[in-house]
Amino acid sequence: MSPTTVGILYALATLALMLSGMPISFALGSVAVIFMVFFMPAASLDTITQNVYEEMSSITLLSIPLFILKGAALGKSPAAKDLYSSLNAWMRHVPGGLGIVNVFACALFAAMAGSSPATCSAIGTAGIPEMRQRGYSPGFAAGIIAAGGTLGILLPPSITMILYAVAAEQSLGRLFLAAIIPGLLLVVLFSLYVGWRFKREYAGAVAHFQKTREDSPLLHPDQSSFKERLKGLPRVLPFIVLLMGVMVALYGGYATPSETAGLGAVLAFVLIAVVYRIWRPGQLSPILAATMRESTMLMFIIGMSLLYSYVMSYLHISQSAAEWIVGLHLSRWVLLGALVILVLILGFFLPPVSIILMTAPIILPPLRAAQFDLVWFGVIMTIVMEMGLIHPPVGLNIFVIKNIAPDISLSQIVWGVMPFIVLMFIGMLLLCFFPQLVLWLPNALLKSTG
Amino acid sequence: MSHSVELSELGPVEKPLVLRPVNGSWLDWLLYGVNRAVAVVSMIALSISALVLTYSVVVRYLLKVPTDWQDEVAVFLLVGATFLCGAMVQAHRGHVGIQVLEAILSPAVNRVRLLLCDFLSGAFCGFFSWKSWSLCREAIHEGQTTSSTWGPPLWIPYSLMAAGMTLLTLQYLAQILAWFRTPPTPAKSA
Repeated sequence: MSPTTVGILYALATLALMLSGMPISFALGSVAVIFMVFFMPAASLDTITQNVYEEMSSITLLSIPLFILKGAALGKSPAAKDLYSSLNAWMRHVPGGLGIVNVFACALFAAMAGSSPATCSAIGTAGIPEMRQRGYSPGFAAGIIAAGGTLGILLPPSITMILYAVAAEQSLGRLFLAAIIPGLLLVVLFSLYVGWRFKREYAGAVAHFQKTREDSPLLHPDQSSFKERLKGLPRVLPFIVLLMGVMVALYGGYATPSETAGLGAVLAFVLIAVVYRIWRPGQLSPILAATMRESTMLMFIIGMSLLYSYVMSYLHISQSAAEWIVGLHLSRWVLLGALVILVLILGFFLPPVSIILMTAPIILPPLRAAQFDLVWFGVIMTIVMEMGLIHPPVGLNIFVIKNIAPDISLSQIVWGVMPFIVLMFIGMLLLCFFPQLVLWLPNALLKSTG
Repeated sequence: MSHSVELSELGPVEKPLVLRPVNGSWLDWLLYGVNRAVAVVSMIALSISALVLTYSVVVRYLLKVPTDWQDEVAVFLLVGATFLCGAMVQAHRGHVGIQVLEAILSPAVNRVRLLLCDFLSGAFCGFFSWKSWSLCREAIHEGQTTSSTWGPPLWIPYSLMAAGMTLLTLQYLAQILAWFRTPPTPAKSA
């Protein structure tokens, strides 16, 4: 049987088992084992456990549970609320400042916690009620938080980036650095939109008032005293120091990415113990349990995805698919567009971890052949997966928002996030036209194009 | 849709460490006890791995002492904790899947679908645990170690992997038996 036929059967079997509702990890593992039985030497079955262990025992991959631990420690403490309150005190007098505060708070928290849904939940819990109280429309408020939360998978330390670094065999340090300017670019784009949209909502409230004399909280700008602004700083500064400290440890050459993850987790625990008095076993247990549940689920998917990719490679499925794509002789931008659409569609069904590990062996060789920089593509792919997090019908963050603000209808949330999807697309186009926005920082700081 | 665990972790209500069986069999109660114990051990292992990696940075840069064992200890702890917690996650039905069919199919067909999914997943885990024990036995007989200068024995992580996958297989078995006793309601998709 030709690799193409085997590949089609492999894809169909994967689709069937995944759509059956089996856990993604065991569906991938089962497909791999079934194809080993039929198409590979019998002895290969004896090596599956060793393969999975060897892939999972990568110290880079094992930084994932520790980054999740750091995120859980911060996410389950009042750190997000304090960060939000402090930024709000500094910026709420600016027109649209409250919305922009939410974008900034999401970006900062994402950089500390590294998780998109955790950011969405932590900032949204305080941010959405506050914005609605100040007269923001429900869809607008929901859109800001859903989109702001997606920065969690782009800004370092990002679990998505760690997996991409392993799958594409790229330097994790370079990838983390490469994501910083695109992350800030998205923050700027989101903030500009929020300012513009606020002005529209404000103008609407003024017109409504003139017509009906009906008041709106939007018409009463909020002020904060300088004392109020200073008051919040002591609680937030330690976390900013943690963020900077982790970055210095990583890029100052003091610690490897996995050591940075361990160090970050320990520092996060020290901070929540000192600042919020969260140190008793009963208080720490939910943080550790939530981390174990989420990281176990993720690591099982990662381990089985790697076994799945190994079988795909052994049976020459990935190579044949890659050769087929190269053989189409598409122009490099058409190729990129097609692969971006593929990732976007997969994002409707699969979490980013599976998308990266399953597609990397197929899509990276053609991209390399088309002379795309794989660090640059890692950032583009992550932005596409960010879009998947808020793209209807199944964007994860849409459901996180629904979870924390059940009275906002799904259609309001969906319409609220749509402009942000357009902004991400614009951001992606800017990175395509100006790749230096991605590559300049790692090239400048790491002095290597590696 | 495929992220139910991540969503549930974010809710304001804390989940119990392991779900307490309702009208459970002796196997359910046994797994409840074992999963609770294993979860506590894994949480400790996770904390120790973070401390070990922090220690590694401190001794290398402050005390100028070379580090050789820290990465491997962290790997063993994290791999062990991951595999051992597989059953605990499955007890919450926390291994995420794509639940598109659930909304389309009738409740009766969904019941059968869930059983088939559990059976296939359980069979895979059973096969994986059998192969893991074989690998572990081989590592003990041949005295296999890692390739580092420290060279700890490989039977340690292999046995943790085998034990975790065996526990997971038993968890699936318990859920299949529970299906026959009381038809379960499929978990809601995210």
